[in-house]
Order: sequence, then C-alpha cells, then structure tokens
Amino acid sequence: MIEKRVTVTNRLGLHARAAARLVHMANQFQSVIRLERIDDRLGADAKSILSVLMLAAACGTELSAKAEGADETEAIEALAEIFSNGFGEAERD
Amino acid sequence: MQRDLREERWHGLGVSEGYVVGRVLRIDNHSRQVYRASLDEVETSRELDRFQQALQDAREQLLAIKGKADHEMGPEHGYLFDAHLLMLDDPNLRGRVQDYIVREKANAEWALRVVTDDLLAVYSRVKDEYLRARGSDIEDVAQRILSALTGNKPQYANLTRDAVIVSADLSPSAVAELDLQHARAITTDAGGWTSHTAIIARALGLPAVVGLRDLYSRTRTGDTIIVNSYAGEVILHPTTATLEDFEKQFAQKDQACRVSPAERGNEPLRTMDGVEITLCANVELPAEFDSVRKFGASGIGLYRSEFLLSREGVLLSEDEQYKAYVEVANVASPDGATIRLFDLGGEKLHPGVGTERNPALGLRAIRFGLRNEEVLRTQVRAILRAAAHGRLNIVLPMVSDLADVRRARAIIDDERSRLAREGRELGEVRVGAMIEVPSAVVLARSIAREVDFFSLGTNDLVQYMLAVDRGNDEVSDWFRSLHPSVLQSVVDVHQAAASAAISTVVCGEMASTPAYAVVLIGLGATHLSMTPSSIPRVARVTSAVKFAEAEAIARMCLTCATPDEVEQTVREPFLTHWPQLFSAHSLPVAKHSDQPPLLETPN
Repeated sequence: MIEKRVTVTNRLGLHARAAARLVHMANQFQSVIRLERIDDRLGADAKSILSVLMLAAACGTELSAKAEGADETEAIEALAEIFSNGFGEAERD
Repeated sequence: MQRDLREERWHGLGVSEGYVVGRVLRIDNHSRQVYRASLDEVETSRELDRFQQALQDAREQLLAIKGKADHEMGPEHGYLFDAHLLMLDDPNLRGRVQDYIVREKANAEWALRVVTDDLLAVYSRVKDEYLRARGSDIEDVAQRILSALTGNKPQYANLTRDAVIVSADLSPSAVAELDLQHARAITTDAGGWTSHTAIIARALGLPAVVGLRDLYSRTRTGDTIIVNSYAGEVILHPTTATLEDFEKQFAQKDQACRVSPAERGNEPLRTMDGVEITLCANVELPAEFDSVRKFGASGIGLYRSEFLLSREGVLLSEDEQYKAYVEVANVASPDGATIRLFDLGGEKLHPGVGTERNPALGLRAIRFGLRNEEVLRTQVRAILRAAAHGRLNIVLPMVSDLADVRRARAIIDDERSRLAREGRELGEVRVGAMIEVPSAVVLARSIAREVDFFSLGTNDLVQYMLAVDRGNDEVSDWFRSLHPSVLQSVVDVHQAAASAAISTVVCGEMASTPAYAVVLIGLGATHLSMTPSSIPRVARVTSAVKFAEAEAIARMCLTCATPDEVEQTVREPFLTHWPQLFSAHSLPVAKHSDQPPLLETPN
C-alpha cells in the first residue's frame, strides 16, 4: 500500500465537476483507492462519486490518499497530479 | 370551479437580473409516489433485470442531455452530467439498490427510494452549502431512473415565446432539456445564489428569482406573471393597474427597449451632444447567440473562442472550427465579429502536464499559440476560411510587445497564402492586439502602427496593472477598476490608437456597469463591448448624457491619486448632473467609506 498527502487547491473545492474528474481517473486503475480527511478521518472510496462528494472537501482541505493493488504507484502519482493542478480548472475571464 | 384570480405577490432572492411579464409554464419535477411490492424469487431476478434496463435507458438520456448542454451552455455545465452518469453506476447507489431488491424482495422503485432517501439524509447534514445543494443532483438522478422504470420519458412542452418557467425545484437536467432560447424568466420555490438554476440563468442572461416557497403549487400554466428580479419579486395574476404601473415604472427606469437600433430607426447611438457610441457584445456560449440581436448589439466585439476547447484534451479540427466561426459570423452580421484567439494555457489541452506555479504569468494566450504553432495555425486557417461568409477579425490575446504581433502576423500571412495556393475560399481578416499587459500599454504607440485595431481588455489589465489576482478574496480590496493608473492607461491606449488612425474597442466587463461606461466614454472610448444583456441599460444612459460633461468628470478623475478619490469624484457630479439616471446606490463608493456598496452587474 502507498500513501500520500494531497491538498485540495482549486477554489471551489471537490465539487461535482472536480469529483467527476477524480472518479473518472480513479476508475482507470485496478487498485483500491481511498481518500481520508486529515482533520476528522472521514474516508471515501475514490471510485464512488457519492462517497467523494460526501467528503465535502473545500479548498485547502488536506487529505491522505491510499492506493493498494497492482498499479498502486501509478494510481497515487496520477491522483497527486490531478490534485496539484486543481482539476484542470483554469481561471477565466 | 372558478379559480380565485386575486393578485398575489411573492418575495424571494433575485439571482439573475431582469424583469419580465409573461405566462407561466409549470415544469413538474416529475417526482412520483412510490409503493412497496413484495416479490417472489423469480420476480426478484426479473426485477434486477428491469433495474438494469432502467439504468441503461437513463444513461442514454443523460448522454443526450450532456451533448445538448455542452453545445448550448458550455462544458462547465455539461460536465455536471458526467457527475450524474457516474452516480448511475456508483456502487453506493446501484450496488445498494440491487442488494435491497434481493434482501428485502422489494420492487426496484421502492428499493431506489429507500436508498436515495438514505443518501439524501446524509447529504443534508453536510456543512458546505454548495455540496449540500448537490443532494438535488442525487434526487435528479433517482427521478430519472424512476421514470425509466415506469417507461415514461420526461416530456417538456414546447415553450411559447413569453414562457416564464415556474417550478418547485428545477433539476439540472430539466434545465438542460428545456428549450431555453424561448424562455423569458425562471422562478423556483427552492434554491439559492449557488443553485444550478441561478448559475445557468446568469450565464444565459435570463431573469431569475428563487426561494419562493409555495409559488409553484399556486400557479397554473398560462397564468399571467410578473418577474422582477431587481426586487426579488414575483406577482401572479397582476391587475391591470399593476401591469400598467409596472410598465410605467420600467419605461422610466429602463427605456431599454426604446434604445434598440430598430427603435432608433437604425440611427447610430449618440450621446446628447452627438458623439457616436458603438455597443457590441461579448459572447462565449452558443446559447448567448440569440441575445446579440435581442439586445441590439452592433456585432460581436469579443468572441471568446475557448468554448471550442470544451472537451478536455480534444482540439476541434479545422473543419469543425470553421463551422463554428461561420455561425459566429452569421450571428454578428452585418457588423462582424472579433474572434479572440485561444486565451488559455497548456493545462486545457494536456491536463496535468507541466502545471505552472503562476499560470496568470505563464505560457498562455498568444504565448501558448506561438509555442504550439499547430494549434494556432489550425485556428487561423479556420477563421480565414470562415471570413469568406461574413466579416471576421482576429485579436491576439496577451500581447507584450511587437515581437508577439510580428510572429503571429507572419503565421497568419503564411496560412493566408497557403490557403490561396490551395484554391480555398477565404475572406479579408483584420488583425488586432488585445491590450491588457502593462508593457503593451507603455508601448501602445509602436504596436498601433502594425495592427488594424486595439481591444482593451479591462479585466486582465486591472489584474496585471495592479498585480492583483481577481480570484483571490484576500486582495479584493486592491482590485479597483477605477484606479487612476487604469484610467490613465485607457487614455494612453486611445491616444496611441488615434495617432495611428486605428480604432479601439473596450471589451472588459467594466463597460457593462452604466456609471463606469460613462467614465470610459469621458476618457475617449467610443466602442464598448459587454455582456449582451447589459447593452440596453448602457445604451439608455449613453443617450441621456452629454459627452462634454462625461469628459469633464473623466478629466477630474485623472488628477486623482487614489481609487477612493476617483470614486468620490465620480459620485458627486453623477448625482447632480444625472439624478434621473443614477441613484446613490448605483454609483461607485469609496471602499473605505460607510456608504452602500456599488451595485455591479452580476457577471
């Protein structure tokens, strides 16, 4: 199992669109992927959008991401990437 | 039974500006009663199949809705239906419903209701308002599956021209399925500022009032209704006196309709002392196309082409872009449209690749195009070809100096000769520069000599001039559109353009606030481009002020040292010169005073 600390960096937090993107990505891996809030240990299955939304993770929330399975390294890397680029949400005019 | 048609008033929250008299169109959120049935073994297995089939039907419907939403409202809204699609297959929904059917030998409708209510109960306890509102997405998905189980497809009446949509709680997919081009206004019993209805209504410039509690149950389709979002008010069955009152009030307050080009007899818009002012539209979504004509815009002053990069990582082909630009040219005919080349960074095309530490100062806009020439060339070819069907201009975003202009123009010229050699049909295209980076303001005179026009992007100019991130609430006190340095830049850029005999269009959202528009006109602006729905208000004010007075006020502003002084300078003469046009609360106030806040257009 691999674990990595990630932070929600996009302004709106893990809202419907960002969560959809996250779940899409998680579904591309075989590993079991879980997210857990650092502050209150509330956990979620990264492959379930209903579960991810329940984290109610606003901008700045710190999460611990855990992956376990054959492709766990790749999964965690991809996950860290999508968090650090704020789910590809560029600010626009 | 005779219905009691007494006039009734409701108060809610106006979430998208405007007022309308129309006829009610009730939209049932098709929520239905569900009953429990007990099944035997065989029936249980049949029930699982039936549930499976319903999911499949719901999926097909959602894919169709998503396609429509992507096209009409843009990927920000279309993407929501990706979330709905994921919910259909979510183990927390699908898996639990299947378990419940088997374990309790229950019918699929009942199982779905129980599981959904469970989920909703959990969501209702979430603290975050935005996420709590997502409970409506779960309900929306559940209702769609229920409809599919009973074999009903949601049906929406074709909208009449004056339809005011009245709903208890309009689900996101219902909004997307509606023919919104014909809707005049939206009201819902539920909802707040961040509800999906509010977001979409603002994007489309439709007046909307939400939070009306029990309006829906008191209406019938066809009832006369007044929606006035400025006051957050809805009036059902207005009396003749109320209707007359309402019309008089708004004829005074907003002679919007009378200053449309048709009603001016196609005379150009002029200030009272005869200075001609041109108002055009800023447009992004195809759903906004109708509003260009509706609000009397003189063409499209800024088309934000990023919309075409809707799907992540997918660049539209030259032919697909060509079709889109031909449509834009038609919408803007005969005045023409200015297409801003893709104003974005690499993250849009290659999500996750090369995240920048400071994207606002990074590889974006024309810099991105010059680094990724194929993207730039494809877009340029498509525009040149589309220009054969109508007037189109190209504007280069985020130009720093002439080097950017020369490199981009060389590529445009290169593609023009290549298309000519290929024997393709192509049109004349003028090439302009967006002036939004401070270095371009300083060097405006030299840039003016090598472009056909300037577009002054005030949103980015304020951000870069003042080094203030406009998305960062912590520094919002420093984001001041009426900053003396910004006003001086507006003057300098106009003078630089005039010295090279080219035109300047001011196309930030600053122009859509009437008081600011008057200041811009006083500073020398003659072409303003803005959100289409703001055009009538700005046109009304423009036709009622004298340029000479606006200029005198602008001159005083230029002598101010701080934005607070500018705002005070604007406020006093506006109230004395034009008391009929500006009320105290519609004027800028110094941020550090106790006066009421500036009423900005919610864009």
